[in-house]
Amino acid sequence: MMLPHREQMLLLWLFVQAAVTVTWCFTDLEPGPGVGAGFQAQANGDRFKIEGRAIVPGIKTQDWVSTARVLVEGEEYIGFLRTDGSFAVNDVPSGSYVVEIVTPAYRFEPVRVDITSKGKMRARLVNYIKTSEVIRQPYPLQIRASGPHSYFMKRETWGWTDFLMNPMVMMMVLPLLIIVLLPKVVNTNDPEMRKEMEQSMNMLNPNPELPDVSELMTKLFSGSKGTSKAGSSSSSSSKGTRSAVKRR
Amino acid sequence: MTIMTYPVFFLSFFLLYGKGWRHVDKTGPEGNIDAFLQYGQDAVLVIGNGRLLRSWDINVGGLNWEVVLDSGSFQSACLVGQQNTVKQVAVLKKAAISLHYLSNGHQKWIENLPDSETVDYQTVYSGGNGEVYVLGVVPHSHITVVAYSVEDGEIIKQYLVEAPWLSNLQVSCTVVSQGVLTCIDSATVSLYTLDLHAQSQMTQMPLQTLGLELAPGFHPTLVSSQPNPSHPPLSEFLLQLGPDHYLLLQLMHLNFLYCQAMLVTFVTTGDKTVAAVMSPKNRTVKFNEQLVNLFSVETGRRLLDTTLIFNIDPNGGKPEKLFVQAFLKKDDSVGYRVMVQTEDHTLTFLQQPGRVIWTREEALSDVVTMEMVDLPLTGTQAELEGEFGKKADGLMSMVLKRLSSQFVLLQAWISHLWKLFYDARKPRSQVKNEVTIENLSRDEFNLQKMMVMVTASGKLFGIDSNTGSILWRHNLDNIPANAAFKLMVQRTTAHFPHPPQCTLLIKDKDTGLATLHVFNPIFGKKSHITPPALTQPILQSLILPLMDQDYAKVLLLVDDQYKVSAFPSTKNVLQQLQEMASSIFFFLIDSSQGRLSGYRLRTDLSTELIWEVIVPPEVQRIVSVKGKRPNEHVHSQGRVMGDRSVLYKYLNPNLLAVVTESTDTHQERSFIAILLIDGVTGRIFHEAVQRKARGPVHVVHSENWVVYEYWSTKSRRNEFSVIELYEGMELYNSTVFSSLDRPHAPQVLQQSYIFPSSISTMEATLTEKGITSRHLLIGLSSGGILSLPKMFLDPRRPEIVSEQIREENLIPYAPELLIRTEWFINYNQTVSRVRGIYTAPSGLESTCLVVAYGLDIYQTRVYPSKQFDVLKDDYDYMLISSVLFALFFATMISKRLAEVKLLNRAWR
Repeated sequence: MMLPHREQMLLLWLFVQAAVTVTWCFTDLEPGPGVGAGFQAQANGDRFKIEGRAIVPGIKTQDWVSTARVLVEGEEYIGFLRTDGSFAVNDVPSGSYVVEIVTPAYRFEPVRVDITSKGKMRARLVNYIKTSEVIRQPYPLQIRASGPHSYFMKRETWGWTDFLMNPMVMMMVLPLLIIVLLPKVVNTNDPEMRKEMEQSMNMLNPNPELPDVSELMTKLFSGSKGTSKAGSSSSSSSKGTRSAVKRR
Repeated sequence: MTIMTYPVFFLSFFLLYGKGWRHVDKTGPEGNIDAFLQYGQDAVLVIGNGRLLRSWDINVGGLNWEVVLDSGSFQSACLVGQQNTVKQVAVLKKAAISLHYLSNGHQKWIENLPDSETVDYQTVYSGGNGEVYVLGVVPHSHITVVAYSVEDGEIIKQYLVEAPWLSNLQVSCTVVSQGVLTCIDSATVSLYTLDLHAQSQMTQMPLQTLGLELAPGFHPTLVSSQPNPSHPPLSEFLLQLGPDHYLLLQLMHLNFLYCQAMLVTFVTTGDKTVAAVMSPKNRTVKFNEQLVNLFSVETGRRLLDTTLIFNIDPNGGKPEKLFVQAFLKKDDSVGYRVMVQTEDHTLTFLQQPGRVIWTREEALSDVVTMEMVDLPLTGTQAELEGEFGKKADGLMSMVLKRLSSQFVLLQAWISHLWKLFYDARKPRSQVKNEVTIENLSRDEFNLQKMMVMVTASGKLFGIDSNTGSILWRHNLDNIPANAAFKLMVQRTTAHFPHPPQCTLLIKDKDTGLATLHVFNPIFGKKSHITPPALTQPILQSLILPLMDQDYAKVLLLVDDQYKVSAFPSTKNVLQQLQEMASSIFFFLIDSSQGRLSGYRLRTDLSTELIWEVIVPPEVQRIVSVKGKRPNEHVHSQGRVMGDRSVLYKYLNPNLLAVVTESTDTHQERSFIAILLIDGVTGRIFHEAVQRKARGPVHVVHSENWVVYEYWSTKSRRNEFSVIELYEGMELYNSTVFSSLDRPHAPQVLQQSYIFPSSISTMEATLTEKGITSRHLLIGLSSGGILSLPKMFLDPRRPEIVSEQIREENLIPYAPELLIRTEWFINYNQTVSRVRGIYTAPSGLESTCLVVAYGLDIYQTRVYPSKQFDVLKDDYDYMLISSVLFALFFATMISKRLAEVKLLNRAWR
């Protein structure tokens, strides 16, 4: 059990070392971009060509190439797409560049292309945070559109499901259901149960002196309707009914 | 279909209109178009001083091929054909000529030119007989003719011809007929001809013997036409002898057609070639009405029914170029359309008999600065407003006035209703709301404004922001080539009956001398106010919040003697200035010496130096200085923290953000720095240095924050950095801000982010009262304009989220900012090469007006906090009202039911 694990470790270590050497190799090549500015200054420095092809699945190239451009590091170098979707950006000095295909219709992932001072090329995924990370991409570039751009947010529509799933509505509907369904489930005629419930109600309403909110509201609204007299009479009548119920 | 190429006024982009497509190349000399050739479906371009040769498919808008040419400065290019087909293109460089296949761009052969050190090779010509002629000149000595075989590039013949009078082939010579080089010389006033095939000497033909004379001081030119590159050019050619004096000559017989014309060009359609001539209709009325006529080239006769009338805008300048698109009609006669380019960069496309199909203002592709001006109120509204401003003259008359104005309003309202009713009966397509200067008026929410645009060529435009239609244009004369412009609004439309007033400061960058142009921004008319003549170079201009008795803001101009002059300089203004002088401060920047200096105004309008900051110019140079916008309002003084305490913003209106870049551009040593300086006291509050970074730096400075963008050379990415300034938990003086009385330095918070695209410009949104949250508008190199919420650029974004921070609604820190296409305010309409973004508040607090200008102009509205003060377009009135009614009835019914129930209970 232990041995395979160690073997794994060894493998892992080897792999790490290999990765380190690989990255070391490339960091060795990095001075290319480093001196990039210097190379640009002396115009006779070696210039290279970034080649590739852009594909929009299911769309004829003629229909979209006229709106597309190939941007290398912003607008520092610009290439155009041929009628078959392939492109070549000429006159690029050695360095590391982000190659991007821009068209208002389709979305393409950018690719980072490294060119050594000898003209060796490689392409890798763009990672702005870990800039030295290498995930290889094919070179010459094969850039496939990942679909059309979405410029618009979907407008919120009013639907019954949205309405019902709203937490406020849920909060209102669930107690309602409980009020309607609970008496059916629990036998309220059972005197013991009734007693228990009354007790629990008393627990919930610790201060019986305090006016009930619902009562207050009914008072308020019936008062606003017209005469306060009617309101008081109705309230008194409600009191009366309550007493009547109690009496019963 | 028209195809045009525009290396327009030293800009390095090109437009190719086929079935409506366009590609924008690089900025600067590497994107310049040197030559444009067209054959059938292919357009061949030489770009970047002969660096690239590109062929485009005109129909598709895609590239056919692109090849890199050998280095060497470009001279000339031509198509090479044989037996009715064109298969190659020849490119002549300083020291070599190369031939490329038109089908794939491959090089057929390249040959070095003999004696290229001494001979200046300038033109290349091919007549379709299997030879390519390269013509070079040794100025004031001789012409060198080298003929190459198209097949293998071998030199067939090479000889010299004496021409001691000649200095430049391209200017004074052209090839006509079967390879006859024809030259004109103004010194000897003669026409020279040379048969290239015959290897003879030049024959001189004095113009006097032809009965012609040259306009004094005019440099004559020759124009020939080669309709098909596989055939020799026509034997007819044009000779221009004066500014408006052309001759159509035929080589064999030298019989000529005399015409007084402004412009002449050759047009070919099918196998017919005609000359299009533009000449004034009436000799006495100069320039105003021009006639375009077609003339048969062979006979020199005017073709019947080919007249086209072109009316020249008297303000626009003379026609410069004439392009003609000719086509054969069914009856084999020639029909045509013309495009006229005038001196003010206007293109007009006309059809017979003079109907304008479209006009294009190419000057608008180079907008330098702009302002948005509120539209005036309508006459009736203005009258109502004006009533309050006037002095009272008796109660009775006031009442009468009020009644009459109310009556006028009522009348306007009724007529408006009537118009609505009348329009409603018509189908919608017929109802046109033509915007003209006369019916311009402010809308309810002040969303429609006048955009005053200043272009680099010195042409001013007034554009309606709602429709984008140009309402007025004004071409300024005598604009220096490298002028800097500053546009200022001195009086807005709020001060009826005084007209609004804008002032444009035009400064020659070399001499520093400036002129003022004062105009009415609504009508574009020059104001009757004569601006002061400025004899001294101007260093700084500033607009003060002071107003003269006519409500015009005071413009102060500081000259190189540090003397200040005011415009308008009435007695009233000077008196106000004297009173205010001790509180007027200004700063000057000298980027060549790296000096920032602050001055104070004295009562005698001289100045005194108060502070000076030297940025060592050998180490770093000042790139930009950004202050705050004067019309910016900040609504909230602070931010409420999670623990209910308030962090007060440091809102210093005098704060300047000074950006410097290192002069050392080496990747390891380059850096950018930002200084926050108080413009009154010169106190430096903060300095931030980004090592291993370089420009271009884009800065936005607003409220209590500065956002800037730079290129990190170390990690090869664009980065944003934000600086926010806070006073702390309590305000020092909450009523008034004074730079002179702020003992505590502000707290500075800073955070940086990665931005995954390069940007061309940046600006912040602006609203009326500053309640709405802010967005940053970022012009991307892809042509999109991103509206990025400022919330993402907040130095208080935490790495670890706690309960309090969650309450504050801060987004946890993420190093990379996202570009979401949903945030593109221009959707899929690309705006190329955005040079600037202008933002203006509207009458609605939620809405900010945005204009992006560059090659294109794009105007839109943005709602940074959504439209909180406007109902949605699809607001469901039906649903709301039906729910209301339903609830109302439900209460009625339930009340009735409850009553019945109560009654029943009472009876029980």
